[in-house]
Amino acid sequence: MGLTRLSARIVAARPLRSFLTIIGVALGVGVLSASLSLGARLDEAISRTVRDLVGNADLRVSSFLERGLSDATVDEIRTVDGVTVVAATVERRTFLAGVPGTTAGAVTVLGVDPTAYLELHPVVLVAGAPLARIDEPSAMITERLAASAGYVVGSELTIQGAGAPVPVRVVGIIEGGGPEAGASGRTVIVPLDVARAVFAPNGVTRVDIGLAPGVTVATAASMLAERITTEPYVLASPADIAAGLRASTADVRTTIGWLAAIILFVGAFLIINTVSMTVGERAREVGLLRAAGATRGQIFGFVLVGAGLIGLIGSALGLAVGFGLSVLVAGSVRALSGFAAPVEGLDVASLVIALIVGLVVTVAAAFEPAIRASRIAPVEAMRAPLDVSAVRRGRLIWLTAVLAFVVIIALIAWPPTEVSSGAGGALAVYVVLLVATLTSPFILGPLARIIGIPLSYLVRLEERLARGSFARDRSRTALTLGALVIGLAMVVALGWTAQAARQRATEWLADVVPGDEVVTSIRPIPADERVREALAGVAGVRSVSPIATFDLALKGVRIDAAAVVGADFLEDGRLTFTEGDRATALAALDAGGSAIVPASAADRLGLRVGDHISLALGTGTPLDLRIAGVVERSIPSGGGEAILVGWPDALGPIGVTGANVFAVRFEPGAAGTARPALESTARTLALEANPLERIQGAVTEALGRVFGLFDALALIALLVAALGIVNTLGMGVLERVREIGLLRAIGMSRSQASRMVVTEGLILGLVGTVLGVAVGLMVGAVLLSMSGAFDGSVTLPWSSIAAAAGLGLASSVVASYYPSLVASRVSIVRALKFN
Amino acid sequence: MPAILEAHDLTKRFALGSTEVEALRGVSLEVQAGEFLALMGPSGSGKSTLLQLLGGLDRPTTGSVVFEGRDISRLSDDEATRLRRERTGFVFQAFNLIPLLNVRENIALPFTIAGNDGNRGEYRDRVREVIALVELNGKENNRPDQLSQGEQQRVAVARAVVTRPSVLLADEPTGNLDYTTGGEILDALWRTCEQSAQTIVLVTHDARAAAYADRVLVIRDGRIREEITLGRRADHSAAPLIARLAQIGL
Ligand SMILES: Nc1ncnc2c1ncn2[C@@H]1O[C@H](COP(=O)(O)OP(=O)(O)O)[C@@H](O)[C@H]1O
Ligand SMILES: [Mg+2]
Repeated sequence: MGLTRLSARIVAARPLRSFLTIIGVALGVGVLSASLSLGARLDEAISRTVRDLVGNADLRVSSFLERGLSDATVDEIRTVDGVTVVAATVERRTFLAGVPGTTAGAVTVLGVDPTAYLELHPVVLVAGAPLARIDEPSAMITERLAASAGYVVGSELTIQGAGAPVPVRVVGIIEGGGPEAGASGRTVIVPLDVARAVFAPNGVTRVDIGLAPGVTVATAASMLAERITTEPYVLASPADIAAGLRASTADVRTTIGWLAAIILFVGAFLIINTVSMTVGERAREVGLLRAAGATRGQIFGFVLVGAGLIGLIGSALGLAVGFGLSVLVAGSVRALSGFAAPVEGLDVASLVIALIVGLVVTVAAAFEPAIRASRIAPVEAMRAPLDVSAVRRGRLIWLTAVLAFVVIIALIAWPPTEVSSGAGGALAVYVVLLVATLTSPFILGPLARIIGIPLSYLVRLEERLARGSFARDRSRTALTLGALVIGLAMVVALGWTAQAARQRATEWLADVVPGDEVVTSIRPIPADERVREALAGVAGVRSVSPIATFDLALKGVRIDAAAVVGADFLEDGRLTFTEGDRATALAALDAGGSAIVPASAADRLGLRVGDHISLALGTGTPLDLRIAGVVERSIPSGGGEAILVGWPDALGPIGVTGANVFAVRFEPGAAGTARPALESTARTLALEANPLERIQGAVTEALGRVFGLFDALALIALLVAALGIVNTLGMGVLERVREIGLLRAIGMSRSQASRMVVTEGLILGLVGTVLGVAVGLMVGAVLLSMSGAFDGSVTLPWSSIAAAAGLGLASSVVASYYPSLVASRVSIVRALKFN
Repeated sequence: MPAILEAHDLTKRFALGSTEVEALRGVSLEVQAGEFLALMGPSGSGKSTLLQLLGGLDRPTTGSVVFEGRDISRLSDDEATRLRRERTGFVFQAFNLIPLLNVRENIALPFTIAGNDGNRGEYRDRVREVIALVELNGKENNRPDQLSQGEQQRVAVARAVVTRPSVLLADEPTGNLDYTTGGEILDALWRTCEQSAQTIVLVTHDARAAAYADRVLVIRDGRIREEITLGRRADHSAAPLIARLAQIGL
């Protein structure tokens, strides 16, 4: 029989151990392939989304003022050298008359110059014809909108705008959800002049630009910068937009990436342990092979082949696991990133990489045991089978080397973007985990002694014997305990980050919104529409505060801004000031000429109370505002926190046309009756009312979905760790069959024998929990301080600590079940056979 | 003297793949209280199997074992465990000790298993007594790997007698030892028999070891072939036994 066949026989000889290891490898490879595929799928989805968004345009110039880019600016753009196509577009959200006035019934209206637009955005029509003229009252609508509202070519739509409703005739229907990925597929494209008539804006929302062949985006951008001097704008190339989309998913990708790495890392522990045990167990056979003339190289290869076999089967199984995971992951990413591109499924390159990494890690993990095997002397064949000689035990120094090697492999195999984005933190986390693992067997002794004190009252002998068995093989103990510690640490660390994120999200809204209910509009509502008065007139409403969110340009950078009524905030006691006097600052806001900045922006821009900021405006003259205060957190707007300005500045120089949010505060105790009344009033005004709790709930729910995924991954790591415990305890029982037989011969009962093993598991679980929680808190602190959230307001994640303790104990006790069964069934007579 | 242990027509068959091995083919014997009995025979003759049945470690295929007037050949596992814990003591050829426990802990193991603290009161005294009996004073805190093989076997003897079992069963306790060291163990066994009237059943293939016994049963192919009564003798000379074996052609 060839050595390879013998290797396979050895793998098959311990089916449970091989099976557990294969599962461990499969989980690691599964998570890895899902994580890599996610990256690839997201990239595809992003480029598809970008293509949908900008079509063939090379550059997009967007306005960020409410009134848009002026005709003068559009004309300037036309004259820039190398610009061949200029597609000016007006984009607005509105309602179609006849469709119930809810947000779900809202549509996105694009006003376009048909010729230029179609040149840059080729549309596929399922019916009718494209728009032809710039002034004709016609429209192309998406198939999805047509289907939901029953429109066909020839139907008449009535678009509601600022003035009188404008009727347009449907001339074409665009396949599927149309070009605007964010518009949930309900888009109406009308000629530019029609849109202007409906909405009466001063300018266009954006201008898409096609460049002549040979003209680079960079040259065009610098020439545009020279021309457009009177209005603030944002210039974006498709690459920029893709980068922005990518950034919105970067955190999830990085986190999933390093969770995958950790699972693989824990999986490597399992493999090292298994191969190491097998080598120890087979020392006699190996000695015999050596005595019979096998070379060291042959022995080395013999062990690696066995491990490779496990790696191969495990990796193959891992692909199935990976597919399942990718569906789960895709769902969470979609929930978080908000773009509907499908991202499930595995991608071939990722599969290949995951397979290779799985194999490489398995073989790398088997390296040290293989070397030890190759050093087994032929005289081992003569030794008594259960003599624990040094050659059978793994050494920690080797373990360190192998684990470092695995880390390097992981870093190399990782997509470079993810390494660079989170490399520092991931490395710090790795180091913490590695140090914890390698020191765990030394900590285990004293810690187990302390933890054993209460246990020894219950199960004296079992406790004594169990504790002693950990000293038998330090590296095995390190790996088993290390895996458990890592799994539990993940539970604690992720739980902590999730808790902090939720806490921040909830506190944030409560701290900055001066109301119990938030009423939003999809369009700015001018003060003269008396909407505020209508809402304030609802019985039980104490105050209604109008808020407008918009963008501003500061030193060429886009920043989020909001117009608020300072007096309302003062009265309602919102906003926590870290700098400046709250009464003075809020009064200054209402007087005009002042701004309140959030601490994050103050830090980023180096602003202090009394500093002045200069905002670029469409008027040509910049608006100068004095910083009246710095607040801990401000109103969420766009992707970040808004700089707060007063309504006089917003309506005056900045050119905001109205409020899009009303914060409504109820009279104390009146919420129950006032809420339904308010909500129905809001509906009649085409507004959407949401209780603050519901908004908070939505935020925490989105967070919950993402962290749920992370928790699932942490549980997988824990599962792998539990497999390791089964393996180690099982091996301990096998090694001690004779000891157990002896104990049984002198009067130990079956239940005592099984209790001995369970106690061993329990001690592992207890020590693992203590260490896991400690390490988890360290890792959590690293993660929180990386995201800047590690400050005085952080509270310990007691529920996660409790969960980790429960999981740690439960998994170790469950894991010890089978080995304890084996121990209780040891046949005395057979155990006492000496040869 | 009353018989403390009796075997009635014991047989034991082991399934070995598709065939069967008949390790015992009808063995009957009696052991008197305070007696030192040796079971002697070549390797594979069924000695160990017989000893295991006598001590309740295994069940006979047919026949019965009566220990202190009670049939122990069909006991439940719990009953057999209690019997081992309280009424019998075992010494095996090797691997008698738990490596991670020291001498005192190994000796006190039967107490510990029973849930008693071997470091207290009567139990501590008993442990101290047997340590003196096997002459291991001063080595109480050594671990097994810090002892010679002879010392390890003496620890095993001490552990086997610490509970004052009704019968001590020893399976080739000197099998791994050289002549002189083996003598130390046999001396220790003999002392327990002499000083505390300990009943002993010793399995051995060595006539010099068997010569310590009061009576020797010679086993061949799963049957008792011969019974040789030597009587209690302080010199343990093997000459009469060897002469008698030669006489009957064994
Ligand atoms: N568990 C077992 N399974 C199969 N055969 C056994 C088993 N135990 C003992 N035997 C066989 O029974 C016979 C007697 O064995 P044993 O009592 O150990 O002999 P001794 O102790 O005299 O050397 C031998 O042939 C041995 O191979
Ligand atoms: Mg034998």
